[in-house]
Amino acid sequence: MQVSLSWLSTHLDLSSYTVPQLSDLLTFAGVEVEGIEERGVATDKVVVAQIQSFEQHPNADKLSVCQVDDGSGALRQIVCGAKNFKAGDKVPLALPGAVLPGGFAIKEGKLRGVDSLGMLCSGKELGIGEDTGGLLIMAADSPVGTPFNKLNPADVLFDLEITPNRSDLLSHLGLARELAALTGLPLKGERHHASTSTKAKAAGEEQIVIKAAEACPLYTARIIKGVKVGPSPEWLRRRLESIGLRPINSIVDITNYVMMEMGQSLHCFDLDKLSGGIVVRTAAEGEKFLALDGQTYALQTDDLVIADSERPVAIAGVMGGEETGVTEGTVNVLLESAYFAPSGIRRTSRRLGLSSDSSYRFERGIDPQQVQGGSELATKLILTIAGGTAEDIVQVAGAAPALVGEVTLDENRARKLLGTPDMTGDEIHAILEKLGLTKKSANKHESHWIIPSYRLDLQRSVDLVEEVARVIGLDRVPSRQVAVASPVEAADRTYDFAMNLRQSLAARGFFEAQTLRLIADAQLADSLGGGQGVAVKNPLSEDHTTLRPSIVPGLIATAALNIRQGLHRLRFFELGRVFLTLPKGGSREEERLAVLLSGPVSPTSWHGREPQPADIHELVGQIQNLTRTPLEVRPAKENSDNYLLTSELRAGNRILGWIAQLHPARAREINARHPVYVAELLISALRQGNTGPTKFEELPRFPGMTRDVAMEVPADLPHAKVAAFFATQKHPLFVGAEVFDVFADPSGAKIAKDRKSIAWTLTYRSADKTLETAEVDAAHTAILTALEKTLPATVRR
Amino acid sequence: MLSDLDSLKTAALAALEAAQDESALEAVRVNFLGKKGSVTALSQGMKDVPVEQKKEVGAKLNEVRTAITEGIDTKKLALQAAQDGKAVEGIDITLPGRPGAGVGALHPLTQIRDLAIRTLRRMGFALAEGPEIETEWHCFDALNTPSDHPARNEKDTFYLPDGRLLRTHTSSVQVRTMEAAKALPIRIIAPGAAYRRDEIDATHLSVFNQLEGLYVNQDVSLGDLKGTLEYFFREIFGAGTAVRFRPHFFPFTEPSFEIDVKLEAKGKEARWIEIAGCGMVDPAVFAEINKARGDTLFDPETTTGFAFGLGLDRLAMIMHGITDIRHLIENDVRFLQQFAA
Repeated sequence: MQVSLSWLSTHLDLSSYTVPQLSDLLTFAGVEVEGIEERGVATDKVVVAQIQSFEQHPNADKLSVCQVDDGSGALRQIVCGAKNFKAGDKVPLALPGAVLPGGFAIKEGKLRGVDSLGMLCSGKELGIGEDTGGLLIMAADSPVGTPFNKLNPADVLFDLEITPNRSDLLSHLGLARELAALTGLPLKGERHHASTSTKAKAAGEEQIVIKAAEACPLYTARIIKGVKVGPSPEWLRRRLESIGLRPINSIVDITNYVMMEMGQSLHCFDLDKLSGGIVVRTAAEGEKFLALDGQTYALQTDDLVIADSERPVAIAGVMGGEETGVTEGTVNVLLESAYFAPSGIRRTSRRLGLSSDSSYRFERGIDPQQVQGGSELATKLILTIAGGTAEDIVQVAGAAPALVGEVTLDENRARKLLGTPDMTGDEIHAILEKLGLTKKSANKHESHWIIPSYRLDLQRSVDLVEEVARVIGLDRVPSRQVAVASPVEAADRTYDFAMNLRQSLAARGFFEAQTLRLIADAQLADSLGGGQGVAVKNPLSEDHTTLRPSIVPGLIATAALNIRQGLHRLRFFELGRVFLTLPKGGSREEERLAVLLSGPVSPTSWHGREPQPADIHELVGQIQNLTRTPLEVRPAKENSDNYLLTSELRAGNRILGWIAQLHPARAREINARHPVYVAELLISALRQGNTGPTKFEELPRFPGMTRDVAMEVPADLPHAKVAAFFATQKHPLFVGAEVFDVFADPSGAKIAKDRKSIAWTLTYRSADKTLETAEVDAAHTAILTALEKTLPATVRR
Repeated sequence: MLSDLDSLKTAALAALEAAQDESALEAVRVNFLGKKGSVTALSQGMKDVPVEQKKEVGAKLNEVRTAITEGIDTKKLALQAAQDGKAVEGIDITLPGRPGAGVGALHPLTQIRDLAIRTLRRMGFALAEGPEIETEWHCFDALNTPSDHPARNEKDTFYLPDGRLLRTHTSSVQVRTMEAAKALPIRIIAPGAAYRRDEIDATHLSVFNQLEGLYVNQDVSLGDLKGTLEYFFREIFGAGTAVRFRPHFFPFTEPSFEIDVKLEAKGKEARWIEIAGCGMVDPAVFAEINKARGDTLFDPETTTGFAFGLGLDRLAMIMHGITDIRHLIENDVRFLQQFAA
């Protein structure tokens, strides 16, 4: 909200405070100052001057030497760099001693050897405009010698963020009231918010009918006849313009002024365009309404409208109607001042996407006790500015709702919550009293308070504690720290496990990515793991429609971005959450780790040739090293369109995740130079193999012996079959086997095309003694015999 | 004989002097000391030496043999020393090292989050988590946010067709934790993603990262809140960092504050930067939790607590001087490698 300091100053004298002090005062009262704009000049030493004559500066092409009339009777010589003036123009003149916005001090001096006794100013130099095209040329009738600030008063504008609980601060009077409480300065001028002495009369049924008392508990109307609508006077226009409102006509300006002055939103109807009395009712389904903004809105049955006997004439509290608004031709007006319940206004305003200064205030809640005061102030201004005669009664339907009452403060609990055991009852009382609360009674530990009608936020004891905290500030509260030991939670273990994985991958040369969890439909085909994501009902754009069922799509987008930057050795991982729609409804969230790898196995360097591009075994190996679990890679029956070689990664019965090669067609779409490999792992499955401390296994006391075997097998016999054979061998001396060579020759020259040669090393050991060669040979022969029986293998002997 | 031995010694030492490598040295050894070597030949002549000269010639023979043996050893060490020096000849130690597997990096967000977590764990906070797809009750109702609150509409919050939503803050983890708690105290932190229906630009993401904290016990005071968070931010930003608490408003805490820290931006005057929100848990939240639990573990008469939340993306941007939040989700390696630890 824009707040004018000069407007505020009509309510209390803030001259003893600097702008930064006021800003701090507001900030520590809980009102955030988002901007401060100083306009115009405070000093009297900038005056209106008239240029009598000017000539070229003898020593500078771009300067002129001007003789100006400053109203003193004698001419004053000023050197000036601007070009946009002529003799006779009236311009602002800063006299020696003036300090301009930004702290620029004006002195007498010489410019290129010519005396200059002041400075002619642009609008920007005076803080009232952006134009830098030259001097500010003033109106021809501006009186010479008059201080500039008499014609263009200086002001400071605060851009304030009022929190939603403090609707009472959404006006200059409300802020003045708060500042008065914080500073102890007295309020001056009219307070408006009290009911006035004007006669109020319950409206007859024919005049105002409230058919929705819950949404509109109080409605008042006043008829003023014979007004002359025209432009507002200068002071009113300036007030509105200073806070960014556009003057329209005197009546509309007055209603806006009253709203910004005291927070009461009003509306004026052209009485002659209304047919019959006022009905406050809910709209009929589909009822159309042409609003002041020129738009037609389709209303629903929970929208509150102000209607005449024929049609809605306003969306209550939100916006008036185009057809019944006040124009230059209006003679008789009906002035509405009412209290509308916040929830209805909020609902309608949101649904229609229509908000106004009025709806902003009603939906946060206004002071019901100021409804008539607002009407009174507006009436007074209308009579003064637009003339006419007011009916001497305010027609009132309904009654002001009691939104606040009495609150009991448990002062011991207040002290405990604040952490200020030494705070006295008197201190607490003084704070609440200066905020406008009235002490009804008090005993040793409790006090009872009557809440002012504008403080809708003070409903409970803790609300009063907050007021005390706000006023004393946290500087007054001593810092305290307690030591509390917390038992480790499951989340701690998951976090530590995940951090170890992250660090491990970073140490292996992988970059950690963080991609958005909301992805595009088009990215879903890049998913690994087969789950279905969770679609959002109201996505912001088609790029972010679905909660990802897999992290890999994000990594592929990451790869694409880096490829566009010319990078072709890609090593990425991301650890985070995925979202899966369950077949029976609902969803599941789980943590996963995705890895993407493409390009040379090591970075290019001066040491030698370009390193080989990684193959899929590189990624399998990386995962193997990372998980430290024996991995089984089991090819999937089907590949999705975007992948080849899709396989499950397993440890026994547990699925750890999936691995695949991005389909070359998809890889071409992202201009990948090398094959792209991806994997996605389930954190919970990885952790299962990782419970409890490692159990030490005794080191073998006797040396083992190895025997190598080479064999020919069909080219399509998977390694896993051979590994499975060795894994199931139970010979007491056999420890294990590892593959150390795989050879195939697609040309068929060295080995038949449909065959391959594989070689394994087998290890034998006894726990009790050093083995004899003959014992090992016997065991080896037994295993090879079994091998040839079980597998389509020919051992080379 | 004696003179023969002297000239042999001289010849041997000269040959040693001339030897330039180990094989030349070996040849010298063979020539003089080998089975058919000249010293060996002369020593075989000892039997013909007259008895009275035997002692003198024998001593001379030994002297010559020793001199040659020592000469060989000395020369061998000298040759090795020269060779050792040559082993590194031509090496340009200023060349770059071998890259190995290359350098990776943790994402700056991970690093900041870990710093925050490590700091808070030292202060006795345990980790907690909750779902990102939440019910309205956990995200809003239980947190004292009225059903017509501005945040609760489809313009600002992502909803699912089944009525659930994507949590707009990690504060829902407060609710999850209190719902499941078996006893007090509760002292948890919950890092996690949150969602708001914001267009992505230089300062906004629709998915962002927060860190939530909650401490509930008997007689937790504003002093505890202040002490804990001052300590935390001074650990993060440095011991002398100025921290201030500005009154603010959140539906689920009262009193509520925003926290600013005073930081210097490069070449600029230090200024206050908003960094977190916090406050004392509103009794209405405890009441709602009790209602859901069906007990009074969170007795509003005796139980108090504080909560805080901070934006990790923002923290990372402030810490590292990152000018555009989108860097955090684009994962350009030129960006990421700046954070290699």
